[in-house]
Amino acid sequence: MEASSAAFIGAGIAVLTGLGAGIGIGLATGKTSEAIARQPEASGKITGSFLLGIALAEATAIYGLVVALMLLFK
Amino acid sequence: MSEAGEALSLGERISESIAIKTVFRIEALGLSIPISDTVITTWALMALLILGSWLLVRRLRMAPRRPQLLAEAFVGFVNKITEEKLGRHGRSYAAFLGTLFLFLIAANLAPMLSPVGGFGFEPPFFIRPLTRDINVTAALAAAVIATVVGSTFRHKGLRGWAKGLVSPMPFMLPFNLMEYAIKPLSLALRLFGNILGAYIIMLLVEAVMPLGLPPIAGLYFDLFDGLVQAVVFSFLSTIYIAEAIE
Repeated sequence: MEASSAAFIGAGIAVLTGLGAGIGIGLATGKTSEAIARQPEASGKITGSFLLGIALAEATAIYGLVVALMLLFK
Repeated sequence: MSEAGEALSLGERISESIAIKTVFRIEALGLSIPISDTVITTWALMALLILGSWLLVRRLRMAPRRPQLLAEAFVGFVNKITEEKLGRHGRSYAAFLGTLFLFLIAANLAPMLSPVGGFGFEPPFFIRPLTRDINVTAALAAAVIATVVGSTFRHKGLRGWAKGLVSPMPFMLPFNLMEYAIKPLSLALRLFGNILGAYIIMLLVEAVMPLGLPPIAGLYFDLFDGLVQAVVFSFLSTIYIAEAIE
């Protein structure tokens, strides 16, 4: 196998990190809507911490993306 | 066959767009210092921010006019957030954190002002996102972690810092030391990866459907993502400093 085709396969494997981020953001979104349904008056604070939380959860997917991009366009 | 050729040219165009180009070199003291396009964009943004903040507060008055109100609203917002998180020490870090926030907003939103080519028109320059260069984000993260270490020394002293390293138990020492490497690394990589990823996705969207779709996708990838990443970077820096001085 050529090195470049191996790099393409590696890039494909690297973006599988999106799986974990998807699950994490999904859980966070579910809990957020639950919390807003319980206490609609606190929705501003909840949304703030939700945005911060998904930005942190997204980071793992971004690391995978960075690795994939490094493999594709170095 | 033609499809493979197009795919290659698209890949080449993306590689060309995300590459950091050296515009010129400064020859001084026997060194040859490369000046890349991101450095020039940084200078332009710095000039813009300095000029803007000077213009906004040029004539201070007790009954503020609109420009002064704008500046006061931003400074008041930064002061409020930092005091909420850092307590009575908030004011001494508000200037650093506010500047960081303002610079990140400017850096992430500046590409939206880039001139667009087309119809045979080739603009003389493009504003490409500054934070697609990992050197920029790494420098910002290094500034943050230097502030964190400095504030630990300032508020706890050398002994307090050493005590903090072995808390809650002595075997935690390597992990506590590792935090000084992991915090800036994750700060730098998060910003860099988000902006570079959004930039590449926008390039792909423009290649697939040049009309109609890019402005809508740009609202999410350029405007929303850029703002959220600026907020996240400065908010995490605030929390790291709060952890260090509590």
